[in-house]
Amino acid sequence: MKATELFHKYPLAGNTWDEMYDEERVRSHYQNVFNSLSSIPADELSKKEELAKGLFMSQGITFTVYSSGEGIEKIFPFDIIPRIITASEWDFIERGIKQRLRALNLFLKDVYHQQFSLKDGIVPIDLIYSCPHYLREMQGVNVPHDIYVHIAGIDLIRDHDGTFYVLEDNLRTPSGVSYMIENREITKRIFPDLIPQNYVRPVTQYPNILYNNLMSLSPGQVSSPNVVLLTPGIYNSAYFEHTTLARLMGIELVEGRDLVVENHKVYMKTTAGLRQVDVIYRRVDDDFLDPLVFNPQSVLGVSGIMSAYRKGNVAIVNAVGNGVADDKAIYVYVPEMIRYYLNEEPILKNVPTYQLEKPDEREHVLKNINKMVVKKTNGSGGYGMLMGHAASEEEIDDYKKEILKAPREFIAQPVISLSNAPCYVNGKAQPRRIDLRPFALCGPNGIEIVPGGLTRVALKEGSLVVNSSQGGGSKDTWVLAK
Amino acid sequence: MLSRVADSLYWMSRYMERTDSILRMLKINYASSQDSPEDFSWQPVLRIFGSLDDDAVSDLDNNGRKVLQYMVLDRDNPNSVFNMVTIARENARGVQDNITTELWKCLNEFYHVVREERLKYALQFEDPVTVLDALIKECMIYFGVTDITMFRGEGLCFMNVGKYMERAIQSADILDVKLSNLSYDLDKPTDTAYWKYLLMSISGYSLYLKRYQSGFEARNVIDQVLFNVDFPRSVLYSLNQLTRYFERLKGEQNQEGFAKVQFMIGKLRSKVQYSNVQSVSRIGLHDYLTEITTEIDDIGSTLNKYYFAYS
Repeated sequence: MKATELFHKYPLAGNTWDEMYDEERVRSHYQNVFNSLSSIPADELSKKEELAKGLFMSQGITFTVYSSGEGIEKIFPFDIIPRIITASEWDFIERGIKQRLRALNLFLKDVYHQQFSLKDGIVPIDLIYSCPHYLREMQGVNVPHDIYVHIAGIDLIRDHDGTFYVLEDNLRTPSGVSYMIENREITKRIFPDLIPQNYVRPVTQYPNILYNNLMSLSPGQVSSPNVVLLTPGIYNSAYFEHTTLARLMGIELVEGRDLVVENHKVYMKTTAGLRQVDVIYRRVDDDFLDPLVFNPQSVLGVSGIMSAYRKGNVAIVNAVGNGVADDKAIYVYVPEMIRYYLNEEPILKNVPTYQLEKPDEREHVLKNINKMVVKKTNGSGGYGMLMGHAASEEEIDDYKKEILKAPREFIAQPVISLSNAPCYVNGKAQPRRIDLRPFALCGPNGIEIVPGGLTRVALKEGSLVVNSSQGGGSKDTWVLAK
Repeated sequence: MLSRVADSLYWMSRYMERTDSILRMLKINYASSQDSPEDFSWQPVLRIFGSLDDDAVSDLDNNGRKVLQYMVLDRDNPNSVFNMVTIARENARGVQDNITTELWKCLNEFYHVVREERLKYALQFEDPVTVLDALIKECMIYFGVTDITMFRGEGLCFMNVGKYMERAIQSADILDVKLSNLSYDLDKPTDTAYWKYLLMSISGYSLYLKRYQSGFEARNVIDQVLFNVDFPRSVLYSLNQLTRYFERLKGEQNQEGFAKVQFMIGKLRSKVQYSNVQSVSRIGLHDYLTEITTEIDDIGSTLNKYYFAYS
């Protein structure tokens, strides 16, 4: 196969933003990569794809699927063609996310303290109390520096005209940042020199920024705080990420069974006895954190950790109870929050969202369900969604019944097409849908967003669902310096 | 260091030592089975390292290829290379932030190697020595990577404690297997090849030739495997190393546990240091070897109680 055929007959989808092509013309920020990739013979590209797979496998950047008692290592699919974001696009995204996070942080503090915004009718009060992630255990609890969201992974998508929209705010335990870091390392290996030639901004500083933020949260006067990362353990599909972050930050990776609470202080069990823990970056969900307070069945958490937290003897990252702010029904009110708390106009747009609890909106959605995506307000990972345009009559009828049973638990959004980016599929460049999850870190000195993020790809042709649990993959994400 | 981490490092290291040792033992036994099939039996190997009942052992006995399949790849044999590498890697996976990435990568790659479909075929139809050599090479990479990259801290001490405890047990066991073939009669005439293979399986052949300069004599072989302090697989050498790395764990904390384990190691080491082939023959070799392995197991339980208990 000849080299130039990679992008030959690239099928442009109608009414969809393509990251690389503006009609027939290659966008200027993709030109360099287009030229480089076009000069590589197709069988070389397939070898590079194999090399990438081999590198993920040998480094153990895998998750384990257990079937018939034996573990099988799987790779999160990686597409070799990078996704490129211009400096000006990034500037816009960065300002938009910072603004949104400032408002969301203020909202969380407000909800768990005086509740001004609820009293002023900015967010309906019953929506808060009916949210399963609102935790009354957090009411009146002070957290260090009033920061609730230390790490956010806000998902962005682009509509047909290229406008960025916020799809969801992930404020609990967003994952994927290790792929931002590792995908870049893989690109360095498979495309030598390509990154320096394109002035791509680095992403390696992420663990340092996070580490400094974690250190700054230490309660009390401790000269060298003991910071740990709490993982659910090796059976968790994101375990690779936990171990990578712990290693890159030089902090101890602990499991619930390594910790014990005594006299409202958290300790870890070491070969030299108990050692106090000051800051916990936890990757265990709220519900499993403390069997005495939340799910009593949990073996992943630590009994008594909430009492230590409430007394301020340990800092927990992200704060407990954040789910009330990234609930899909409360999402609707984020633009209002920005106006209310910051007196600014929102920079990033929300996807128009219908709340099925409201009778008129519900009626509208049910009538136009073929054009809608219906989601559970507390769902994630692409589970339990209804894609109206693709579902059968029967699926729609079943789903409608579910909605009518508990309308509070559903929202609907018009189908947003998501932008396309070229992906290497079967020896050719093919358009596939993508989103973008940049990772924002909030510390006492403000919000920092590492230039890059996780670009997720819907690898199935025509699919709009990018979640890894639904056959999605990822790309290296470049933010250009100029 | 977290107790769980120390525990995982200790077991990772023990399983890798055992893997290496079993692979070498298999290689030599296989070679020996090709030499003199009429006096060769796989039974001692299967008895010591396998978990089969007597009927299954006699079924396998004269089928070397099947024994190799069982010892290398069998999913139901807890001591198969497949299972040991999987466990070692699983332990490493849980403590990746406490070992170097190079070490993790090496174990992860070994884990993928023992999963290759081709291995089964090769072990059945091709030259098994090539297969075993390839696996032994993976072990040597592991030891090299550990030595070159691992930081000299508490973690490496626990790894070495595990490694030398396991090595002492393995050397004692391998000797026991061989001696049981002779019914522990040191004067029973044997083929030269018999001792040669034993020494080769524990890389002690060259040293033996230099040191003892005689033909193969059971007493000299026993002397080397148990008491020769220059021989890295001798029981005494292993106990000396065990002492050395355990002493490094001494600190302000956990003095009670340290004292207990130190006493047990010291006692065992003295016992071996102040024995020789004659005194051991009087006690009975099998009993003596069993005492050694039992005492090492006790040291393991005490370590577990004072250093590794976390759940």
